[in-house]
Amino acid sequence: MTTPTKTAPPYRSALHPTRAGFGRLVRAEWTKFWTVRAWLLVLAVAAVVTVVISQLGASGSTTGGGPPVVLGPGGEVVNDSFRFTHRTLTGDGTITARVTGLKDASGKGLGPWTKAGIIVRSSLKQGSPYAAVLATPAHGVRMQWNFTHDKAGPSSDLAKAPQWLRLQRLGGKLTGYASADGEKWTRLGEVEVGGLRGTVQVGLFLAAPVHEIVHRSFGGTSEIAGSGQATGTFDHLTFQGRSKDTGWTATDVGAPPPNGPTSQPGSTTISATGTYTLTGQGDIAPDENSPDTVQMSFQGVFMGLLFMVALGTLFVTTEYKRGLIRTTFTATPSRLKVLAAKTTVIAAITFTTGLLATAIGFTLAQKTLRSNGFKPPEFPDLSLLENPALRAVVGSAVLLSLVAVLALSLGVVLRNSAGTIATVVVLVILPQILSFALPLPVAQWLLRVTPAAAFAVQQGVTYYPQVQHNCLPESGCYPLSPYNGLAVLVAYAAAALVLAAWTVRRRDA
Amino acid sequence: MRWRGSLHALHAEWTKLRTLPSTWWLLTATVALTAAMGAAAASSLTTRVCPTPTACHEDTVKLALTGVQLSQAVCLVLGALSIGAEYGTGTIRTTLTAMPGRWRVLASKAVALSLLTSAAGVLAVLSALGLAGLILPAPAPTLVDGATLRAAGGSILILVLVTLLGLSLATLLRDTGGAITLGLGVLYVVPVLSHVINSPTWQHRLQRWAPMPAGLSIQATTNLGRLAIGPWAGLGVLAAYGVGLLVVGGVAFRVRDA
Repeated sequence: MTTPTKTAPPYRSALHPTRAGFGRLVRAEWTKFWTVRAWLLVLAVAAVVTVVISQLGASGSTTGGGPPVVLGPGGEVVNDSFRFTHRTLTGDGTITARVTGLKDASGKGLGPWTKAGIIVRSSLKQGSPYAAVLATPAHGVRMQWNFTHDKAGPSSDLAKAPQWLRLQRLGGKLTGYASADGEKWTRLGEVEVGGLRGTVQVGLFLAAPVHEIVHRSFGGTSEIAGSGQATGTFDHLTFQGRSKDTGWTATDVGAPPPNGPTSQPGSTTISATGTYTLTGQGDIAPDENSPDTVQMSFQGVFMGLLFMVALGTLFVTTEYKRGLIRTTFTATPSRLKVLAAKTTVIAAITFTTGLLATAIGFTLAQKTLRSNGFKPPEFPDLSLLENPALRAVVGSAVLLSLVAVLALSLGVVLRNSAGTIATVVVLVILPQILSFALPLPVAQWLLRVTPAAAFAVQQGVTYYPQVQHNCLPESGCYPLSPYNGLAVLVAYAAAALVLAAWTVRRRDA
Repeated sequence: MRWRGSLHALHAEWTKLRTLPSTWWLLTATVALTAAMGAAAASSLTTRVCPTPTACHEDTVKLALTGVQLSQAVCLVLGALSIGAEYGTGTIRTTLTAMPGRWRVLASKAVALSLLTSAAGVLAVLSALGLAGLILPAPAPTLVDGATLRAAGGSILILVLVTLLGLSLATLLRDTGGAITLGLGVLYVVPVLSHVINSPTWQHRLQRWAPMPAGLSIQATTNLGRLAIGPWAGLGVLAAYGVGLLVVGGVAFRVRDA
């Protein structure tokens, strides 16, 4: 005899276990985050420390006096001093010349970007608009205009054969040509440069930038400035067009050169056979040696980063330590979804906090830098909503959040807070310190291949390829361009995430 | 009797350290990283940097000991774990029940750690210098030279002091994660700031008073005049941080509940 037992059907959630919405998972992880008071505190401290250190860094930086700067047509700081043999041109015209030689006159070596060529510029004033075709010792024939523009022409070697150059003005347009024999001409480019209308100055020019040889050792870097002075020879100079001058005048534009260690006046000699010999120094190029006020406003990020690393790590390692991870995986058996939700939450939190901190930090630091002498026109006002400031502010926030994601992923792999924090901090910060001391090729290599490359996103100075520049880590230069640098960190974070996904699926909790 | 008690405490700490697999992993890492990075740094001395050995501007001894900058992080973790893990798991209460003398506990931890780290440090420094001697184009550094001996011995002391720094920070914070974050911040982030800050006065100050740059000045063998702080004085700054914080940590350990 059996009594029929009445069993109540067990409770089943209406949601299919593996199909529990991702939104709910994110909410669960968010709840885990904000209910730990210490983490909120760390987040707040991270933001405050970032702002305060940026502010301290800015207030420690001062600039004083210095020679007045020259601004180019685009408002950028430029070097504009060279030897010029010129006459005026009104209306259309053409100037042709053959560069026969370029050699060092200082005894310290010929810089790779020493320039000999023909130029059309609106006036003799420094920083005025121009267009030029020129020959260089190491970079072939180029057409350059308004300091920041550069177009490569034939890569002929001046040491082997002379080079013909031609610059033609037709209407408002300037066209540059190059030729090896004076018969067959290659068109280098055609540009319309504002300000080159009416009467302009045309002629031969010679510029020899100061090129620096770097000696680095532990404890200091010394840059030996090879005084740029060079001699260029020209012949077959022809000028077609209307000019009120009857002959050529020689001028040192912008003498003395603003960063030259010694300044010697240039010279121009014209032989009876029509050979023009110009000796001069200086450069016609953007100036890349002025301090980077954008980068100087983000020094707190180095410190804020530490806290983000700790947060990203602890967000997962404490679950392993306390055994909560087993509850989490029981509730959501799909481990990849848990990892995705955790990543989403930590990335969103650190990005938002980071953005707030870098935006406030940047604005305050800019104010401090202003009062410390970093004033327009050399240091123009930077709007937060325009590049490079926007890129640096948002990029730094992305950097902070990527570092947290990297820490989270490594935390999943190592399941141990001590090892994870140490590894991530060493990966991100140590390359910077080592790059200050190690020999330059290794230092630059380190800043290309380690996550530290991402700090390139804070750079505000544009490094133009047409300027010889020694990228020294201690002066804040990163060898990669801003976005490429950030991409390196993205690659590290992505690789760590993949590794984390693989191990979290394979291993027992 | 007191002496025997101290020996017993030291033996207990030694057993704890010895039986943790992480200790041996970390010590191996210290030796391996110091040697590997020293070798890598030495081989970076290409002909582009040094055309001839005599024209070489590099401080080859310091270059060979570059690895210390990395392995000190491992030592920091070792020091922090030795007491942080006890707080994390609650073993600290058992420890203090068995040995109520808290100064004695902390001191024996410090001694056991120092002995282990200095042994690993000797191995690390010798292998780094040995590897560099095989690689370098310049005359290899020898230990007979007084400056090289100072750099080598100083590097071992750096590792020991950084381990003590980790121990004292973890004693103060009673948490491994926090101690390591703070320790790495003091060690690594402050020197980065000292370089990026655009003020010579502050650069000089940070180079003198931040533990890592000051401590590392012991590794210099050439151009001593260009150092921000003298070799021994610099190591003294690091020692002040390590030992000073250990005393502060000890006081906190003494007055606080576990």
